[in-house]
Amino acid sequence: MTWIGLPAPPSQLNSSPVGVFPSLPPSHSGVPSTSPPRSLLVGPGWGGPPFAASHSCLPSSAETEAEVEASGYSFAAVYDGPPLPYSLPRALPIDVECIPFAALAPVTAGPVSLPVVDPLPAPKKPTPILSSASPTSVIGNHAAVAAAPDSDTLGSDGSREILSSETADVSGTVGFSDELGGAHDRLSTESPLSSHASTFRSCASEIEEDDESSDTPDRRATIVTFQESGQSNYSTSPAVGATPVANSEGLRIKKGACYCCLRGNRFTEKESCLACGAKYCGRCVLTAMGMGSMPEGRKCISCIGSPILESNRERLGKSSRLLKRLLSDLEIELLMEAEKNCESNQLRPEDIRVNGKSLNLEEMFLLQSCPCPPPKLKPGYYWYDKLSGYWGKEGHKPNSIITAHLNVGGHLKVNASKGNTGIQINGREITKVEMKMLKLSGVPCAGNPHYWLSADGTYMEEGQKNVKGKIWGKRHMKLLFPLLSLPFPSKNSKCCEEVNNFMKRPLPDNLNKKAIQKLLLIGSDGSGATTVFKQAKLFYGLSFSEKECQDIKIMIQTSIYRDLALLLECREWFEEEILTERRGNMQFDSSGDETDFSLVPQLKSFADWLLKVIASGKFEAIFPASSREYATLVRELWKDSAIQATYKRRSELQLLPAIRSYFLERVIDISRDNYEPSNVDIINADGINCSNGIASTELQLPCTGSSIDDHEQLQTISRYQLIRGPYKGTGENCKWLDMFEDARMVIFCIALTDYDEYYKDTSDAVINKMIESRRLFESIVSHPTFEEKDFLLILSKFDLFEQKLDITPLSSCEWFDNFHPLVSRCPPQRNNTSCSGTREATKAEQAFHYVAKEFKTLFQSITGRKLYVTHANGLDSDSVNATLQYAREIIYWTEEWSLGGGNVESMYSTEPSSTSHSLLTEKNA
Amino acid sequence: MSVAELKERHTAATATVNSLRERLKQRRQLLLDTDVSGYARSQGRSAISFSPTDLVCCRILQGHTGKIYSLDWTPERNRIVSASQDGRLIVWNALTSQKTHAIKLQCPWVMTCAFAPNGLSVACGGLDSVCSIFNLNSHVERDSIPVSRVLTGHKGYVYSCQYVPDQETRLITSSGDQTCVLWDVTTGQRISVFGGEFPSGHTASVLSVSINNSNSNMFVSGSCDATARLWDTRIASRAVRTYHGHQGDVNTVKFFPDGQRFGTGSDDSTCRLYDMRTGHQLQVYSQQHDADDDEVPIVTSIAFSLSGRLLFAGYSSGDCYVWDTLMAEVVLNLGTLQNSHESRISCLSLSSDGSALCTGSWDKNLKIWAFGGHRRVI
Repeated sequence: MTWIGLPAPPSQLNSSPVGVFPSLPPSHSGVPSTSPPRSLLVGPGWGGPPFAASHSCLPSSAETEAEVEASGYSFAAVYDGPPLPYSLPRALPIDVECIPFAALAPVTAGPVSLPVVDPLPAPKKPTPILSSASPTSVIGNHAAVAAAPDSDTLGSDGSREILSSETADVSGTVGFSDELGGAHDRLSTESPLSSHASTFRSCASEIEEDDESSDTPDRRATIVTFQESGQSNYSTSPAVGATPVANSEGLRIKKGACYCCLRGNRFTEKESCLACGAKYCGRCVLTAMGMGSMPEGRKCISCIGSPILESNRERLGKSSRLLKRLLSDLEIELLMEAEKNCESNQLRPEDIRVNGKSLNLEEMFLLQSCPCPPPKLKPGYYWYDKLSGYWGKEGHKPNSIITAHLNVGGHLKVNASKGNTGIQINGREITKVEMKMLKLSGVPCAGNPHYWLSADGTYMEEGQKNVKGKIWGKRHMKLLFPLLSLPFPSKNSKCCEEVNNFMKRPLPDNLNKKAIQKLLLIGSDGSGATTVFKQAKLFYGLSFSEKECQDIKIMIQTSIYRDLALLLECREWFEEEILTERRGNMQFDSSGDETDFSLVPQLKSFADWLLKVIASGKFEAIFPASSREYATLVRELWKDSAIQATYKRRSELQLLPAIRSYFLERVIDISRDNYEPSNVDIINADGINCSNGIASTELQLPCTGSSIDDHEQLQTISRYQLIRGPYKGTGENCKWLDMFEDARMVIFCIALTDYDEYYKDTSDAVINKMIESRRLFESIVSHPTFEEKDFLLILSKFDLFEQKLDITPLSSCEWFDNFHPLVSRCPPQRNNTSCSGTREATKAEQAFHYVAKEFKTLFQSITGRKLYVTHANGLDSDSVNATLQYAREIIYWTEEWSLGGGNVESMYSTEPSSTSHSLLTEKNA
Repeated sequence: MSVAELKERHTAATATVNSLRERLKQRRQLLLDTDVSGYARSQGRSAISFSPTDLVCCRILQGHTGKIYSLDWTPERNRIVSASQDGRLIVWNALTSQKTHAIKLQCPWVMTCAFAPNGLSVACGGLDSVCSIFNLNSHVERDSIPVSRVLTGHKGYVYSCQYVPDQETRLITSSGDQTCVLWDVTTGQRISVFGGEFPSGHTASVLSVSINNSNSNMFVSGSCDATARLWDTRIASRAVRTYHGHQGDVNTVKFFPDGQRFGTGSDDSTCRLYDMRTGHQLQVYSQQHDADDDEVPIVTSIAFSLSGRLLFAGYSSGDCYVWDTLMAEVVLNLGTLQNSHESRISCLSLSSDGSALCTGSWDKNLKIWAFGGHRRVI
């Protein structure tokens, strides 16, 4: 037994000897009326004899023949209708010897040509001649045709003799196909797997054995009705016409039989499909013909993705005995979970109409997750009284009282429950039963009053202020309501405040993924993207976890040692520099080797050791695990005048970025063992985790009032996931980018200060960082994964950029050599900008706009779309927040426009840029 | 010796090395008088012929809701672990196509997964730069199996991992930090690091590893630097040999069943067969592409049949060619068969007895292919 056995693959079925029995469907369509009466005969309804299948053959055949005759045609009537438009295929007699069956195929030979007869074209209407054709059209059937009427009329032993020749023929053919199948099996057993045949639940041979044992497939009964029982070894190989497609189309499935293997009766244990109701027996349920791997629970393979039958909703997630027998507990658990949570098994919101309006996903969620949801929600038309919480089917009295004030569906109509009493509650005409209830609870009903009823049971007359009383107040009402089968509010429905504030509650599993929008933050090392990420996380009130803090602490401590080592190295340079200078100046001066940069011997040995460790590359292994031992040494080292002298000259050191001094100045604190990084420390630290891994955080960006009104604000679940991609090695072939196909927007970070910074690549070529950033930007923008994505470019480190521009002009970067700022005449006056309404842009802003324009042009030339650009300062939380708001708004706009269509283009070209500008002015104001 | 002098010497040495490398390349070219297919042809061999029904899809494992990135078989043949972008590892019983475990991951961006040789635990790695080990027998907590060990130390994403055969406690990972690492799973410590600081290591992300079945001390790695390197786990300091030839990232490497050669698959749309000891490239397996079609499909994953006669290669186009390794001809394309994948084939692997091939795709399905009928396992 190989992999093949269990689910006969369609391809094989099509080309295998199945085709030998092409006339199966016609012969059935010829006697379509036989099935219903037969099933009646089997027994009166469900109470019939249990094992009727074979016993009922004779009486049923007699009955059906009678029926057939009554309906006006018999098996062997000469066809004298109009000439047929198609030529009837005639099956020629075949010499059995000539059939090339079961010759052992050479193992390495190519495709085996199997004798396949094309199926007969299915006739449009039942033709007697065709219908009489026996299932074995390969065999010459003339004898059979002649014999058929005999069997009809006589049904005696005599005819059976004639018949026997045919049955012999039939079995001959079947045998042929069997043998082929056998050969098939025999050859395939060469695979080492064959010894494990028993592990498969249904394989070809098994089916064959079963066939012989008890129940004959019913379709034979319909074909050869005169056959008394399955006595003759008329065994059908599983390949013979057993495709389920043929079954479902060509035959009626015997009541209670498995839909796949057609065996079993209604007492065999079966599992039914949730979507179409097809039943499968234990052998077939797990095969490819049945339910396979059940990714959506108990559904046929063909039903995957389609909604389930409402009547089966109760069954969701409830395992059956059959499954428990077939699968392990763990497997069932997973299966049931998938069944309950998969999307297509959920109630579809558009199927539920409340007050004449279909629900959307959020409303649906609201309805199901409120403290007091409508019981047993099914697709249909409902009305819902938002004030009182009454809930009922359209045209009926209230069915239950659910949580009030849900923003669900449309407005309540007067005739929602088809009342005719003239009395209205909350604008709905109530039914008679309700009127009775009102009367009993002492509410005056004379004169068709209109009432307002609120969720706590107080009611007042329309147009009046004073509360008239409480409907549900009296004790005896609790007993009365069920008597009238009217709903009574349950206890928990009272706490209905904060219902709409669903942001605070966790979303259920199946809704969780849908609502989230992913923002991917990309930027090379030092671009400020990580800072933006950390800033965002802190700004929205999410603190770093214990582990993350630990990670960052280790990172800070490690980097402080690196910085120290750098200082020590520089110290050596400076010392050497001074010494050589001295030697040059005064050859014979014996003032010794003492300089400002000399260390005391004890510290010197530590310094040498530290440098050695770093040079050897084992730095990571030693630090910061052993930082406690060195804390005191570090303190002394830092206090040492030599280091302080070096530190004062740090501006000469290209390698030491300015930001490092933040930590270096606090080196004594940091090197302590009990150091806990503060939030500021975290933001200033380099990176998020020491493994250069990905980091993600969930944000709930509040909507700003301007563009969205409050009503909508309640309904849109705006949850975002900010993902910081790996930041080192972004330059090389980004193998991981295709994982972010589902990102809503790509936020790309570039540091503005890059324009005059350089680095050396592996081949010692000096490369401008801005050019390098541009290269990275190009490669990411043109990546096929991000073809249709919105891009937001953050030009970060704006504060440093402002300072830097005064020292180095922007045109020092070759890409920006075209930049000629206009404010040459009067220097920017920062202090009096507020007095003049239209102030001139500062130099930095002009430079920023120039850089932004360059990137926009670049983006346009690559993608033909619009790039959104903003600037930010990673250390300033407000500017980061503004950036995120901007990102959220871009998403909102693009969604609106894609919905609205229309003048998308014009909106595109004006709005975002103006906002980016307003953002900018707002910041600088 | 001054710094300038040192630099000068360094440049000179680099130039020498490069020229030597060039000479070596030329010499190799001279010595390469034939390739496998040329020789086989001269010996009068012919390619295996396949009919479309010889390899059929006999199981479809459905249940992932995201792109599948990786899969691995257990040695005892009937279980598969698969990793997908929906953030789950699923352990399947390949025979019944049922899920036996579903593991929700901390980091949904998973790139690789592997089954331990004893079938009791699975490992996975991804963009979180760690390799997580899950014990399949551990108690389920809050509808997922808790992670039993986290191997931390990589400085880049973990792109592939593989257990050392017959050693439950040894695991080799490859990472975006240009290194491969041999781990002791029980302690969670790195035993040795291959590449990185050492000059003979890879110069770009390492995308794949394959451990020699006959000598588990040897393993080969493929990298974004378009080379494959052979390593000895006992000598971490340097790569035993470097194999050049590809023009694109080497996405996948796989040892030939006899352990004397290995195959590679690359972004340049070719698969190549290298001899482990001589370093020669034995054969290139490449299809002609239309000149006007600039999107050449990349090879994402390869596997050899048990005898080595067949090479299964998955492509980003959704094709899966079956190469006759001897004749360098495509004998079958699974992408044209019934029930083929609709999207990129991201991973494929042969069961340990060679009877079935499992392919994983971005169309969220895993499919199991087996020889349909009268053919022996080859």
